[in-house]
Amino acid sequence: MIEVENLSKTYVDTPVVNGLSFFVPEGQVLGFLGPNGAGKTTAMRMMTAFLPPTSGRVEVAGVDLDADPVGLRRQIGYLPEHVPLYPELRVQEYLTFRADVEGVERSRLNDRLEYVIERCMLADVRRQVIGTLSKGYRQRVGLAGALIHSPPVLILDEPTVGLDPNQIIKVRELITELGRDHTVVLSTHILPEVEQVCERVFIIDRGRIVADGTPEALRTRLIGNPTLKVELGGAGGSAPEALGALPGVVGVEAGAGDTLLVEHHPEEDPREAVFRLAVERDWVLLGMTPEQATLEDVFVRLTTADEMVPEPEGAGGEV
Amino acid sequence: MRAFTAIVRRELIAYFSSPLAYIVMAAFLLLQGALFALIVGYLSQPGQSSLSILQAFFGGTIFFWFFLVVAPLITMRLVAEERRSGTIEVLLTSPVTEAQVVLGKFSAALIFYLSLWAPTLIYVVMVQSQASVDWGAVAASYLGVALFGALFVSLGLFASTLTRNQIIAAVIAFTGLILLFGLPLLRGLLISSSTLGAVIDHADLWQHMSDFAKGVVDTRHLVYSLSLTGLFLFMSTKSLELAKWR
Repeated sequence: MIEVENLSKTYVDTPVVNGLSFFVPEGQVLGFLGPNGAGKTTAMRMMTAFLPPTSGRVEVAGVDLDADPVGLRRQIGYLPEHVPLYPELRVQEYLTFRADVEGVERSRLNDRLEYVIERCMLADVRRQVIGTLSKGYRQRVGLAGALIHSPPVLILDEPTVGLDPNQIIKVRELITELGRDHTVVLSTHILPEVEQVCERVFIIDRGRIVADGTPEALRTRLIGNPTLKVELGGAGGSAPEALGALPGVVGVEAGAGDTLLVEHHPEEDPREAVFRLAVERDWVLLGMTPEQATLEDVFVRLTTADEMVPEPEGAGGEV
Repeated sequence: MRAFTAIVRRELIAYFSSPLAYIVMAAFLLLQGALFALIVGYLSQPGQSSLSILQAFFGGTIFFWFFLVVAPLITMRLVAEERRSGTIEVLLTSPVTEAQVVLGKFSAALIFYLSLWAPTLIYVVMVQSQASVDWGAVAASYLGVALFGALFVSLGLFASTLTRNQIIAAVIAFTGLILLFGLPLLRGLLISSSTLGAVIDHADLWQHMSDFAKGVVDTRHLVYSLSLTGLFLFMSTKSLELAKWR
């Protein structure tokens, strides 16, 4: 659905996006995850034919950016960062305006309006002036505007920034629903968001993709094996050795207090074996908690790793 | 075409939902009304019939001074505000061209400008009830008003594409208009060459308006206004294409 090849953007001598290449199949929800200034917005602006790339190729739904930039825009519903809207218009006026500039046929206009208003839960504010709406509603008006011409691809730049927790949940639910019949690319620097919403994640740092995979795969691949935190009473010094001998266990380390951190293979769950061992040895099992590394850890590790290495001049840079 | 009309409509809603529009209208009608009353009073004195009322009204300086200030206020918002708020990104990632955006915004601003002038047609009707009116000269005068409006607005629109700050856009437009109008005034002071002087004489917008008010529609005046308007619209389109980079 989306094909990007070696996409780059350089401002003067500073590469902001540095040779992005990827393919997004139809129906996938993809997250761009990266710190501020990583080049996410610039990449999206190039994919939506707003900014001309310095080099590289973009194809969306079979339309090539170079050959037909206006045609490519038709395939995309784009929600820029901070959801720019016209504050003096009413919700329905704004959506009609968007439908007109997006080229929605007259005969379909009413159907499309009703559809997006229902989908984005805007029925009770359709006659309200946009400038008086709360941030959550404005976000949904922006999404409705991006959906109005039923584009196969949605590109959403930081769609939940500045919302309160309830609004964030609603917008995320909406995006998840939209993911069922649209290909979605969204950017964020909020980690739980990609874990909840996306099927696939790119971690982007300094204009390059530094990791690509499902949230689960990234966690396992980059953080290593899952760990089980075991708290035992009256176990004594033999416990680590005994636990280490259990099937599937890779290693045992001492944690804080009486706890032991049992690292195990991701496919194996050693909890039952630990329990039986405790019974057999007459240890008091006080607690067992599986510890999962979050994407947060992956993120921090990937985006700060090479800071110890001297940086090439001019790398990175704000968008 | 639908995108164009949608842009015009949106701009007009933006004009008429802001208090600025009504304040400008009120100020304009107040000043024009006062001027009209003064002219009528002056011309009704005995022995003052050498000047027609149209010449006094449209050829008079207030026409220009008022618009040097008002035109930038009408146009400053057009693109600068969209760039500041980011709506330009939504507009230019929809399947419309920069030229459609520029023409839509230009048309809306021109419609607003002409709507300022519409009530002054009442003056003509009032004069007609008391004296004879040369309708040809009236038509020529309003043609002049429309042509100048197009020129003012296109220059202001271009200024508005240059920045995301409305005040800066207004100052640039104001400076541009002053230069355009002030050129003939500087002629006597600065330029001794008679060829260059003749060129500047042709660019004298005061003279153009005074001709229109006499009922003279000179093709050279038409070409001058229309080609400058076209130039500013073209530059606005190019500037909007570049605006994405800044």
